[in-house]
Amino acid sequence: MIRIGDVLVSQGEGGVYNERMLGGARVWDPYRSKLSALYHVGTGVELTPVMRVLYLGAANGTTVSHVADYVEAVYAVEFAPRPMQDLLEVCRRRRNIIAIMADAARPEQYAPLVEAVDLLYQDVAQPDQAAIVLRNCVFLKPGGTVILMLKTRSVDVRKEPAEVFHDTIDSLISAGLAVKERVWLTPFHTDHAAIVCIKPEV
Amino acid sequence: MQSYWFGDVEDGRCTLFIGDSHAIIDRVQSIITSMDTFVPPDWEQAVLCGACRDRHEYLARLQAVCIAAAERSIREHYSRKDAELLQMVRTLDEIDTVINLLSEKVAEWYFIRHPAFSRKYRRTPAHALVKTMREKSKGALGKVAGEIEHLATTRTVLAKEVSARANDVIPNTSALIGGLVAARLMSHAGGLLPLSRLPASAIQVLGARTALFAHLKTRSPCPKHGIIFQHRRVHNAPKEVRGKVSRVLAGKLAIAARLDFFRGVAEPDFLDKAQRRIDATVKRGEP
Repeated sequence: MIRIGDVLVSQGEGGVYNERMLGGARVWDPYRSKLSALYHVGTGVELTPVMRVLYLGAANGTTVSHVADYVEAVYAVEFAPRPMQDLLEVCRRRRNIIAIMADAARPEQYAPLVEAVDLLYQDVAQPDQAAIVLRNCVFLKPGGTVILMLKTRSVDVRKEPAEVFHDTIDSLISAGLAVKERVWLTPFHTDHAAIVCIKPEV
Repeated sequence: MQSYWFGDVEDGRCTLFIGDSHAIIDRVQSIITSMDTFVPPDWEQAVLCGACRDRHEYLARLQAVCIAAAERSIREHYSRKDAELLQMVRTLDEIDTVINLLSEKVAEWYFIRHPAFSRKYRRTPAHALVKTMREKSKGALGKVAGEIEHLATTRTVLAKEVSARANDVIPNTSALIGGLVAARLMSHAGGLLPLSRLPASAIQVLGARTALFAHLKTRSPCPKHGIIFQHRRVHNAPKEVRGKVSRVLAGKLAIAARLDFFRGVAEPDFLDKAQRRIDATVKRGEP
Protein backbone atom coordinates (compact mmCIF):
# COMPACT_ATOMS: atom_id res chain seq x y z
CA MET A 1 0.00 0.00 0.00
CA ILE A 2 1.21 3.50 -0.79
CA ARG A 3 1.60 5.88 2.11
CA ILE A 4 2.88 9.44 2.12
CA GLY A 5 3.99 9.96 5.69
CA ASP A 6 1.03 8.65 7.72
CA VAL A 7 -1.48 9.24 4.95
CA LEU A 8 -2.82 6.36 2.89
CA VAL A 9 -3.15 7.32 -0.77
CA SER A 10 -3.86 5.73 -4.13
CA GLN A 11 -2.52 6.64 -7.57
CA GLY A 12 -5.20 7.63 -10.02
CA GLU A 13 -7.32 10.31 -11.61
CA GLY A 14 -8.61 12.62 -8.86
CA GLY A 15 -11.83 14.53 -8.39
CA VAL A 16 -14.09 11.49 -7.96
CA TYR A 17 -15.73 12.84 -4.81
CA ASN A 18 -13.69 16.00 -4.16
CA GLU A 19 -11.06 13.98 -2.32
CA ARG A 20 -7.92 15.75 -1.13
CA MET A 21 -4.82 15.32 -3.30
CA LEU A 22 -1.33 14.90 -1.88
CA GLY A 23 1.67 15.04 -4.19
CA GLY A 24 -0.46 14.00 -7.16
CA ALA A 25 -2.01 11.05 -5.32
CA ARG A 26 -5.54 10.67 -3.98
CA VAL A 27 -5.92 10.72 -0.21
CA TRP A 28 -7.87 7.69 1.03
CA ASP A 29 -9.73 8.92 4.11
CA PRO A 30 -10.21 6.30 6.88
CA TYR A 31 -13.24 8.18 8.22
CA ARG A 32 -15.04 7.83 4.90
CA SER A 33 -13.89 4.40 3.80
CA LYS A 34 -13.95 1.33 6.02
CA LEU A 35 -11.27 -0.35 3.95
CA SER A 36 -8.93 2.57 4.52
CA ALA A 37 -9.78 2.36 8.23
CA LEU A 38 -8.75 -1.30 8.18
CA TYR A 39 -5.32 -0.35 6.80
CA HIS A 40 -4.96 2.11 9.68
CA VAL A 41 -6.01 -0.15 12.57
CA GLY A 42 -4.88 -3.50 11.16
CA THR A 43 -3.02 -5.07 8.25
CA GLY A 44 -5.76 -6.27 5.86
CA VAL A 45 -4.30 -7.50 2.61
CA GLU A 46 -1.78 -5.92 0.27
CA LEU A 47 -3.54 -4.80 -2.93
CA THR A 48 -1.39 -5.54 -6.00
CA PRO A 49 -1.64 -4.64 -9.72
CA VAL A 50 -2.37 -8.26 -10.71
CA MET A 51 -5.34 -8.70 -8.37
CA ARG A 52 -8.96 -9.14 -9.42
CA VAL A 53 -11.55 -8.09 -6.87
CA LEU A 54 -15.24 -8.80 -6.37
CA TYR A 55 -16.68 -5.88 -4.44
CA LEU A 56 -20.15 -6.42 -2.96
CA GLY A 57 -22.05 -3.35 -1.82
CA ALA A 58 -20.22 -0.84 -3.99
CA ALA A 59 -22.57 2.08 -3.16
CA ASN A 60 -21.45 5.39 -4.71
CA GLY A 61 -18.12 4.05 -5.84
CA THR A 62 -16.01 6.02 -3.38
CA THR A 63 -14.01 3.11 -1.99
CA VAL A 64 -14.30 1.24 -5.29
CA SER A 65 -12.40 4.01 -7.06
CA HIS A 66 -9.47 3.68 -4.61
CA VAL A 67 -9.40 -0.11 -4.89
CA ALA A 68 -9.44 0.23 -8.68
CA ASP A 69 -6.34 2.46 -8.45
CA TYR A 70 -4.42 -0.46 -6.93
CA VAL A 71 -5.70 -3.56 -8.69
CA GLU A 72 -6.19 -4.96 -12.19
CA ALA A 73 -9.99 -5.24 -12.26
CA VAL A 74 -12.89 -4.66 -9.87
CA TYR A 75 -16.30 -6.26 -10.23
CA ALA A 76 -18.54 -3.85 -8.31
CA VAL A 77 -22.00 -5.11 -7.35
CA GLU A 78 -24.68 -2.71 -6.16
CA PHE A 79 -28.43 -3.16 -5.89
CA ALA A 80 -30.00 0.27 -5.32
CA PRO A 81 -30.61 2.46 -8.39
CA ARG A 82 -29.73 5.82 -6.84
CA PRO A 83 -26.12 5.00 -5.81
CA MET A 84 -25.80 2.98 -9.02
CA GLN A 85 -26.14 6.22 -11.02
CA ASP A 86 -23.04 7.55 -9.26
CA LEU A 87 -21.18 4.26 -9.54
CA LEU A 88 -21.76 4.21 -13.31
CA GLU A 89 -20.27 7.69 -13.56
CA VAL A 90 -17.11 6.46 -11.79
CA CYS A 91 -17.11 3.35 -13.97
CA ARG A 92 -17.23 5.34 -17.22
CA ARG A 93 -14.02 7.14 -16.22
CA ARG A 94 -12.07 4.02 -15.22
CA ARG A 95 -11.39 1.11 -17.49
CA ASN A 96 -11.00 -1.51 -14.80
CA ILE A 97 -14.34 -1.20 -12.96
CA ILE A 98 -17.17 -3.49 -14.05
CA ALA A 99 -20.35 -2.12 -12.44
CA ILE A 100 -23.09 -4.71 -11.99
CA MET A 101 -26.60 -3.88 -10.83
CA ALA A 102 -27.71 -6.94 -8.91
CA ASP A 103 -28.47 -8.27 -5.45
CA ALA A 104 -25.30 -9.49 -3.73
CA ALA A 105 -27.35 -12.13 -1.92
CA ARG A 106 -28.23 -13.72 -5.26
CA PRO A 107 -24.96 -14.45 -7.10
CA GLU A 108 -26.83 -16.42 -9.78
CA GLN A 109 -27.96 -13.03 -11.13
CA TYR A 110 -24.43 -11.94 -12.03
CA ALA A 111 -22.54 -15.24 -12.23
CA PRO A 112 -22.14 -15.17 -16.06
CA LEU A 113 -20.21 -11.90 -15.74
CA VAL A 114 -17.75 -12.39 -12.89
CA GLU A 115 -14.37 -14.10 -13.27
CA ALA A 116 -12.49 -15.95 -10.56
CA VAL A 117 -11.11 -13.31 -8.18
CA ASP A 118 -8.27 -12.99 -5.68
CA LEU A 119 -10.16 -10.84 -3.20
CA LEU A 120 -13.78 -10.87 -2.13
CA TYR A 121 -14.65 -7.63 -0.38
CA GLN A 122 -18.07 -7.30 1.19
CA ASP A 123 -19.67 -4.21 2.70
CA VAL A 124 -23.44 -4.66 2.51
CA ALA A 125 -25.98 -3.54 5.10
CA GLN A 126 -27.82 -6.86 5.38
CA PRO A 127 -28.63 -9.04 8.38
CA ASP A 128 -27.06 -12.17 6.85
CA GLN A 129 -23.63 -10.84 5.92
CA ALA A 130 -21.80 -14.11 6.60
CA ALA A 131 -24.23 -16.09 4.42
CA ILE A 132 -23.76 -13.63 1.56
CA VAL A 133 -19.98 -14.07 1.77
CA LEU A 134 -20.31 -17.85 1.68
CA ARG A 135 -22.63 -17.76 -1.30
CA ASN A 136 -20.12 -15.62 -3.20
CA CYS A 137 -17.11 -17.79 -2.34
CA VAL A 138 -17.55 -19.66 -5.65
CA PHE A 139 -15.94 -16.67 -7.36
CA LEU A 140 -12.93 -16.77 -5.04
CA LYS A 141 -9.76 -18.60 -6.10
CA PRO A 142 -8.40 -21.14 -3.62
CA GLY A 143 -6.03 -19.28 -1.32
CA GLY A 144 -7.91 -16.04 -2.02
CA THR A 145 -8.83 -13.52 0.65
CA VAL A 146 -12.19 -12.45 2.02
CA ILE A 147 -12.59 -9.07 3.70
CA LEU A 148 -15.93 -8.69 5.45
CA MET A 149 -16.93 -5.32 6.84
CA LEU A 150 -19.39 -6.21 9.56
CA LYS A 151 -22.05 -3.62 10.33
CA THR A 152 -23.14 -5.04 13.66
CA ARG A 153 -26.05 -2.64 13.93
CA SER A 154 -27.47 -3.82 10.59
CA VAL A 155 -27.28 -7.47 11.64
CA ASP A 156 -29.34 -7.10 14.79
CA VAL A 157 -29.91 -3.85 16.70
CA ARG A 158 -30.94 -5.65 19.86
CA LYS A 159 -27.80 -7.78 20.16
CA GLU A 160 -24.54 -6.53 21.57
CA PRO A 161 -22.09 -5.68 18.76
CA ALA A 162 -19.48 -8.03 20.29
CA GLU A 163 -21.96 -10.91 20.22
CA VAL A 164 -22.78 -10.34 16.54
CA PHE A 165 -19.03 -10.18 15.86
CA HIS A 166 -18.39 -13.58 17.46
CA ASP A 167 -21.43 -15.23 15.85
CA THR A 168 -20.30 -14.09 12.40
CA ILE A 169 -16.73 -15.33 12.94
CA ASP A 170 -18.09 -18.69 14.14
CA SER A 171 -20.23 -19.18 11.04
CA LEU A 172 -17.30 -18.26 8.76
CA ILE A 173 -15.00 -20.76 10.51
CA SER A 174 -17.58 -23.53 10.45
CA ALA A 175 -17.92 -22.99 6.69
CA GLY A 176 -14.22 -23.78 6.30
CA LEU A 177 -12.67 -20.32 6.04
CA ALA A 178 -9.52 -19.56 8.02
CA VAL A 179 -9.85 -16.30 9.93
CA LYS A 180 -6.61 -14.34 9.63
CA GLU A 181 -7.51 -11.07 11.28
CA ARG A 182 -10.40 -9.65 13.25
CA VAL A 183 -10.42 -6.03 14.30
CA TRP A 184 -12.81 -3.25 15.32
CA LEU A 185 -12.66 -0.13 13.19
CA THR A 186 -12.80 2.33 16.09
CA PRO A 187 -12.12 5.26 16.24
CA PHE A 188 -12.91 5.67 12.54
CA HIS A 189 -16.25 3.80 12.48
CA THR A 190 -18.23 2.82 15.58
CA ASP A 191 -19.84 -0.63 15.89
CA HIS A 192 -18.13 -1.73 12.67
CA ALA A 193 -15.64 -4.57 12.51
CA ALA A 194 -13.44 -6.06 9.81
CA ILE A 195 -12.89 -9.78 9.42
CA VAL A 196 -10.16 -11.04 7.08
CA CYS A 197 -10.31 -14.72 6.05
CA ILE A 198 -8.48 -17.02 3.67
CA LYS A 199 -10.18 -19.60 1.48
CA PRO A 200 -8.16 -22.81 1.96
CA GLU A 201 -6.22 -24.32 -0.96
CA VAL A 202 -7.85 -27.56 -2.00
CA MET B 1 -23.00 -26.44 -20.04
CA GLN B 2 -21.85 -23.10 -18.67
CA SER B 3 -23.51 -19.97 -20.02
CA TYR B 4 -21.45 -16.80 -19.88
CA TRP B 5 -22.13 -13.34 -21.19
CA PHE B 6 -20.03 -13.93 -24.31
CA GLY B 7 -21.26 -17.44 -25.15
CA ASP B 8 -21.91 -21.00 -24.01
CA VAL B 9 -19.11 -23.40 -23.07
CA GLU B 10 -19.52 -27.17 -23.10
CA ASP B 11 -16.73 -29.75 -22.77
CA GLY B 12 -14.12 -27.10 -23.59
CA ARG B 13 -15.96 -26.11 -26.76
CA CYS B 14 -17.35 -22.63 -26.98
CA THR B 15 -20.29 -21.27 -28.94
CA LEU B 16 -20.01 -17.51 -29.42
CA PHE B 17 -23.15 -15.50 -28.82
CA ILE B 18 -24.03 -13.36 -31.81
CA GLY B 19 -26.37 -10.42 -31.39
CA ASP B 20 -26.54 -6.66 -31.04
CA SER B 21 -26.11 -4.74 -27.79
CA HIS B 22 -29.77 -5.14 -26.82
CA ALA B 23 -29.72 -8.87 -27.42
CA ILE B 24 -26.65 -9.31 -25.23
CA ILE B 25 -28.28 -7.41 -22.37
CA ASP B 26 -31.36 -9.60 -22.69
CA ARG B 27 -29.08 -12.61 -22.57
CA VAL B 28 -27.18 -11.42 -19.48
CA GLN B 29 -30.40 -10.68 -17.62
CA SER B 30 -32.10 -13.94 -18.55
CA ILE B 31 -29.36 -16.55 -18.02
CA ILE B 32 -30.26 -18.80 -15.12
CA THR B 33 -27.11 -20.12 -13.50
CA SER B 34 -27.11 -23.14 -11.27
CA MET B 35 -24.58 -22.22 -8.59
CA ASP B 36 -23.78 -25.85 -7.63
CA THR B 37 -21.96 -26.61 -10.86
CA PHE B 38 -20.90 -23.06 -11.68
CA VAL B 39 -17.37 -22.34 -12.90
CA PRO B 40 -16.49 -18.63 -13.26
CA PRO B 41 -15.83 -17.38 -16.80
CA ASP B 42 -12.27 -17.19 -18.08
CA TRP B 43 -11.13 -14.38 -20.37
CA GLU B 44 -8.76 -16.68 -22.28
CA GLN B 45 -11.73 -18.84 -23.14
CA ALA B 46 -13.47 -15.75 -24.49
CA VAL B 47 -10.45 -15.09 -26.71
CA LEU B 48 -10.51 -18.66 -28.03
CA CYS B 49 -14.21 -18.23 -28.57
CA GLY B 50 -13.56 -15.14 -30.68
CA ALA B 51 -15.39 -12.68 -28.41
CA CYS B 52 -12.29 -10.51 -28.07
CA ARG B 53 -8.60 -10.37 -28.96
CA ASP B 54 -6.97 -9.79 -25.58
CA ARG B 55 -7.51 -9.09 -21.90
CA HIS B 56 -7.87 -5.38 -22.54
CA GLU B 57 -10.66 -5.88 -25.06
CA TYR B 58 -12.35 -8.47 -22.84
CA LEU B 59 -12.68 -5.95 -19.99
CA ALA B 60 -13.72 -3.14 -22.31
CA ARG B 61 -16.50 -5.20 -23.91
CA LEU B 62 -17.68 -6.60 -20.59
CA GLN B 63 -17.73 -3.11 -19.08
CA ALA B 64 -19.81 -1.75 -21.95
CA VAL B 65 -22.32 -4.59 -21.59
CA CYS B 66 -22.58 -4.11 -17.82
CA ILE B 67 -23.01 -0.34 -18.08
CA ALA B 68 -25.77 -0.73 -20.67
CA ALA B 69 -27.51 -3.40 -18.59
CA ALA B 70 -27.34 -1.27 -15.44
CA GLU B 71 -28.63 1.79 -17.30
CA ARG B 72 -31.57 -0.25 -18.51
CA SER B 73 -32.32 -1.57 -15.01
CA ILE B 74 -32.18 1.94 -13.56
CA ARG B 75 -34.52 3.22 -16.26
CA GLU B 76 -36.97 0.38 -15.62
CA HIS B 77 -36.84 1.02 -11.90
CA TYR B 78 -37.50 4.74 -12.26
CA SER B 79 -40.28 4.29 -14.79
CA ARG B 80 -42.36 2.43 -12.23
CA LYS B 81 -45.27 4.67 -11.53
CA ASP B 82 -44.66 4.99 -7.80
CA ALA B 83 -41.05 6.21 -8.08
CA GLU B 84 -41.87 9.85 -8.81
CA LEU B 85 -44.88 10.00 -6.50
CA LEU B 86 -42.59 8.94 -3.67
CA GLN B 87 -40.27 11.90 -4.23
CA MET B 88 -43.21 14.29 -4.72
CA VAL B 89 -44.88 13.49 -1.42
CA ARG B 90 -41.56 13.59 0.46
CA THR B 91 -40.84 17.02 -1.00
CA LEU B 92 -44.32 18.17 0.01
CA ASP B 93 -43.84 17.08 3.63
CA GLU B 94 -40.43 18.75 3.68
CA ILE B 95 -41.93 22.02 2.42
CA ASP B 96 -44.47 21.87 5.25
CA THR B 97 -41.67 21.53 7.77
CA VAL B 98 -39.78 24.42 6.23
CA ILE B 99 -42.85 26.68 6.24
CA ASN B 100 -43.50 25.97 9.92
CA LEU B 101 -39.91 26.53 10.98
CA LEU B 102 -39.53 29.75 9.00
CA SER B 103 -42.89 31.15 10.19
CA GLU B 104 -41.87 30.59 13.79
CA LYS B 105 -38.49 32.28 13.32
CA VAL B 106 -40.01 35.26 11.55
CA ALA B 107 -42.67 35.63 14.25
CA GLU B 108 -39.97 35.81 16.93
CA TRP B 109 -38.26 38.52 14.91
CA TYR B 110 -41.55 40.41 14.45
CA PHE B 111 -42.25 40.33 18.20
CA ILE B 112 -38.96 42.16 18.83
CA ARG B 113 -39.98 44.97 16.49
CA HIS B 114 -43.46 45.20 18.01
CA PRO B 115 -43.08 44.83 21.77
CA ALA B 116 -46.80 45.35 22.35
CA PHE B 117 -47.82 42.60 19.93
CA SER B 118 -49.30 39.40 21.28
CA ARG B 119 -51.31 36.55 19.77
CA LYS B 120 -53.29 35.95 22.94
CA TYR B 121 -57.11 36.24 22.58
CA ARG B 122 -56.80 36.84 18.85
CA ARG B 123 -57.01 33.44 17.24
CA THR B 124 -54.70 34.42 14.39
CA PRO B 125 -53.95 31.44 12.15
CA ALA B 126 -50.30 31.12 11.14
CA HIS B 127 -50.82 32.13 7.51
CA ALA B 128 -52.73 35.27 8.55
CA LEU B 129 -49.90 36.22 10.88
CA VAL B 130 -47.39 35.78 8.06
CA LYS B 131 -49.51 38.10 5.89
CA THR B 132 -49.63 40.76 8.60
CA MET B 133 -45.90 40.51 9.07
CA ARG B 134 -45.28 40.94 5.35
CA GLU B 135 -47.53 43.99 5.14
CA LYS B 136 -46.29 45.73 8.27
CA SER B 137 -42.57 45.05 8.02
CA LYS B 138 -39.92 46.83 6.05
CA GLY B 139 -36.78 45.34 4.57
CA ALA B 140 -35.66 41.74 4.91
CA LEU B 141 -38.31 40.75 7.45
CA GLY B 142 -41.13 41.60 5.07
CA LYS B 143 -39.27 39.87 2.25
CA VAL B 144 -38.87 36.64 4.23
CA ALA B 145 -42.56 36.70 5.17
CA GLY B 146 -43.37 37.18 1.48
CA GLU B 147 -41.22 34.18 0.59
CA ILE B 148 -43.12 32.05 3.11
CA GLU B 149 -46.39 33.01 1.44
CA HIS B 150 -44.86 32.23 -1.93
CA LEU B 151 -43.75 28.81 -0.68
CA ALA B 152 -47.25 28.19 0.67
CA THR B 153 -48.67 28.77 -2.81
CA THR B 154 -46.20 26.31 -4.29
CA ARG B 155 -47.17 23.84 -1.60
CA THR B 156 -50.84 24.05 -2.61
CA VAL B 157 -49.97 23.38 -6.25
CA LEU B 158 -47.75 20.44 -5.30
CA ALA B 159 -50.40 18.98 -2.96
CA LYS B 160 -52.91 18.97 -5.80
CA GLU B 161 -50.43 17.25 -8.09
CA VAL B 162 -49.62 14.62 -5.45
CA SER B 163 -53.31 13.96 -4.96
CA ALA B 164 -53.99 13.61 -8.67
CA ARG B 165 -50.95 11.38 -9.20
CA ALA B 166 -51.93 9.16 -6.26
CA ASN B 167 -55.43 8.71 -7.68
CA ASP B 168 -53.78 7.45 -10.83
CA VAL B 169 -51.01 5.28 -9.33
CA ILE B 170 -52.78 3.86 -6.28
CA PRO B 171 -56.50 4.24 -7.16
CA ASN B 172 -57.97 1.87 -4.58
CA THR B 173 -55.93 3.07 -1.63
CA SER B 174 -56.59 6.70 -2.63
CA ALA B 175 -60.34 6.09 -2.89
CA LEU B 176 -60.41 4.85 0.70
CA ILE B 177 -58.35 7.54 2.45
CA GLY B 178 -57.68 10.25 -0.13
CA GLY B 179 -54.70 10.68 -2.41
CA LEU B 180 -52.51 12.70 -0.07
CA VAL B 181 -52.72 10.34 2.90
CA ALA B 182 -52.42 7.32 0.61
CA ALA B 183 -49.24 8.77 -0.87
CA ARG B 184 -47.86 9.40 2.63
CA LEU B 185 -48.55 5.79 3.60
CA MET B 186 -46.69 4.64 0.53
CA SER B 187 -43.78 6.94 1.21
CA HIS B 188 -43.46 5.60 4.78
CA ALA B 189 -43.57 2.00 3.57
CA GLY B 190 -40.88 2.84 0.97
CA GLY B 191 -42.92 2.24 -2.20
CA LEU B 192 -45.93 0.42 -3.55
CA LEU B 193 -44.36 -3.04 -3.42
CA PRO B 194 -43.32 -2.79 0.24
CA LEU B 195 -46.72 -1.27 1.13
CA SER B 196 -48.57 -4.13 -0.55
CA ARG B 197 -46.51 -6.59 1.49
CA LEU B 198 -47.35 -5.00 4.85
CA PRO B 199 -49.91 -6.64 7.13
CA ALA B 200 -52.94 -4.52 8.06
CA SER B 201 -51.74 -4.19 11.65
CA ALA B 202 -48.53 -2.55 10.44
CA ILE B 203 -50.40 -0.18 8.09
CA GLN B 204 -52.58 0.85 11.04
CA VAL B 205 -49.61 2.15 13.05
CA LEU B 206 -47.40 3.26 10.15
CA GLY B 207 -45.95 6.61 11.21
CA ALA B 208 -46.40 5.97 14.93
CA ARG B 209 -43.00 4.38 15.40
CA THR B 210 -42.08 6.12 18.66
CA ALA B 211 -45.35 5.17 20.33
CA LEU B 212 -45.17 1.63 18.98
CA PHE B 213 -41.68 0.94 20.27
CA ALA B 214 -42.50 2.64 23.57
CA HIS B 215 -45.38 0.18 23.82
CA LEU B 216 -43.22 -2.82 22.99
CA LYS B 217 -40.51 -1.85 25.46
CA THR B 218 -42.51 -0.42 28.36
CA ARG B 219 -46.06 -0.79 29.54
CA SER B 220 -47.39 2.25 27.72
CA PRO B 221 -50.63 1.70 25.75
CA CYS B 222 -50.26 0.67 22.13
CA PRO B 223 -50.89 3.30 19.42
CA LYS B 224 -54.30 3.06 17.74
CA HIS B 225 -53.37 4.91 14.57
CA GLY B 226 -50.42 6.40 12.72
CA ILE B 227 -50.66 8.31 9.46
CA ILE B 228 -54.22 7.10 8.89
CA PHE B 229 -55.30 9.42 11.72
CA GLN B 230 -55.04 12.21 9.13
CA HIS B 231 -58.06 10.74 7.37
CA ARG B 232 -61.30 12.44 8.40
CA ARG B 233 -63.20 9.24 9.19
CA VAL B 234 -60.58 8.39 11.78
CA HIS B 235 -60.02 11.78 13.43
CA ASN B 236 -63.72 12.75 13.27
CA ALA B 237 -64.89 9.46 14.72
CA PRO B 238 -66.08 9.44 18.36
CA LYS B 239 -63.18 8.68 20.65
CA GLU B 240 -64.58 5.31 21.77
CA VAL B 241 -64.72 3.88 18.26
CA ARG B 242 -61.64 5.55 16.80
CA GLY B 243 -59.50 2.48 17.41
CA LYS B 244 -62.10 0.25 15.78
CA VAL B 245 -62.42 2.51 12.76
CA SER B 246 -58.69 2.66 12.22
CA ARG B 247 -58.41 -1.14 12.51
CA VAL B 248 -61.18 -1.76 9.97
CA LEU B 249 -59.79 0.95 7.68
CA ALA B 250 -56.27 -0.50 7.88
CA GLY B 251 -57.64 -3.93 7.02
CA LYS B 252 -59.29 -2.60 3.90
CA LEU B 253 -56.20 -0.55 3.02
CA ALA B 254 -54.06 -3.68 3.07
CA ILE B 255 -56.37 -5.26 0.51
CA ALA B 256 -56.52 -2.04 -1.52
CA ALA B 257 -52.72 -1.78 -1.66
CA ARG B 258 -52.49 -5.32 -3.01
CA LEU B 259 -55.14 -4.57 -5.63
CA ASP B 260 -53.18 -1.46 -6.59
CA PHE B 261 -49.96 -3.39 -6.92
CA PHE B 262 -51.28 -6.38 -8.84
CA ARG B 263 -54.10 -4.84 -10.89
CA GLY B 264 -53.45 -1.09 -10.85
CA VAL B 265 -57.05 -0.10 -11.60
CA ALA B 266 -59.92 0.87 -9.31
CA GLU B 267 -62.18 -2.03 -8.29
CA PRO B 268 -65.68 -0.52 -7.81
CA ASP B 269 -67.12 -3.67 -6.18
CA PHE B 270 -64.43 -3.87 -3.56
CA LEU B 271 -64.47 -0.11 -2.92
CA ASP B 272 -68.21 -0.02 -2.52
CA LYS B 273 -68.24 -2.82 0.06
CA ALA B 274 -65.22 -1.47 1.87
CA GLN B 275 -66.62 2.06 2.14
CA ARG B 276 -69.91 0.78 3.54
CA ARG B 277 -68.12 -1.40 6.05
CA ILE B 278 -65.96 1.50 7.27
CA ASP B 279 -68.91 3.88 7.48
CA ALA B 280 -70.88 1.30 9.46
CA THR B 281 -68.04 1.05 11.95
CA VAL B 282 -67.94 4.83 12.31
CA LYS B 283 -71.69 5.04 12.89
CA ARG B 284 -72.38 2.18 15.20
CA GLY B 285 -68.96 1.34 16.49
CA GLU B 286 -69.38 -2.25 15.46
CA PRO B 287 -66.21 -4.21 15.03
